[in-house]
Amino acid sequence: MDYIILSVTLLAIGIYGLVTKHDLIKVLISIELITIAASMNFVVFASLMNDSLGQTFMILALSVDSCMTAVALALAVVVYRKLKILDVTELSELKE
Amino acid sequence: MMHNMLLETVLVVGLVASAFFAIYLEETVYAVLSLATMLIVLSTFYFSLNAPFAAIFQLAIGTGTVAIFFLAGETLTTKSGTTTSLKKKLLGLVASILLSIPCILGTEQTKTFARSTSFSLSTALWELRAIDAIAQGLVILTIALGIVFLLKEERRRS
Repeated sequence: MDYIILSVTLLAIGIYGLVTKHDLIKVLISIELITIAASMNFVVFASLMNDSLGQTFMILALSVDSCMTAVALALAVVVYRKLKILDVTELSELKE
Repeated sequence: MMHNMLLETVLVVGLVASAFFAIYLEETVYAVLSLATMLIVLSTFYFSLNAPFAAIFQLAIGTGTVAIFFLAGETLTTKSGTTTSLKKKLLGLVASILLSIPCILGTEQTKTFARSTSFSLSTALWELRAIDAIAQGLVILTIALGIVFLLKEERRRS
């Protein structure tokens, strides 16, 4: 079993979602997948080396990740209330 | 040995399939449910890797994240009627199983030159990373206050 390939697969799925989806919530789910793929490596390598330091880094990374998701969703709620838009391409056209 | 291999294979296929469906499904609520499934399978995967603290933390944080996503998905999206057909769902299932095959069959050994330190989790967190943990607590508090102010200000204006 190769865990690096699993991590790369999750990263690829996240990037695929980030590139192809226009819904703001789907984009945030894609970012969540990318961060999970990155933080999974900490646990996998810590487990292979029988070390707890990797788990510590994963805990620290995951708490920042959840905060980032909360901020992004709060911004999405505010944008939706003001503009009634959830499409990222329409949002990016607004700046022109 | 065979039992462990079977468990790992099921976990990897479940992980990749649920991650794929979280992106692939058109309905936001079902996509969030698929993300929840992925986080539960990931937590089980961490347990199988002998990392119980990471598993419990992933489960706890994942519950909060999914709750936020679920609320956002329910309140922000309209019932537009766009659904993923059964044929597309089956196609997605086949694609996700194909995606998980390299993970199952991959046998390349990862070599590392790092030295194992064999700290316990509490030692690693509170003695090596104490400043990081305290600073992160401050960051989380600031972010929580920021979100409250953001939503309150927006409500006051409206």
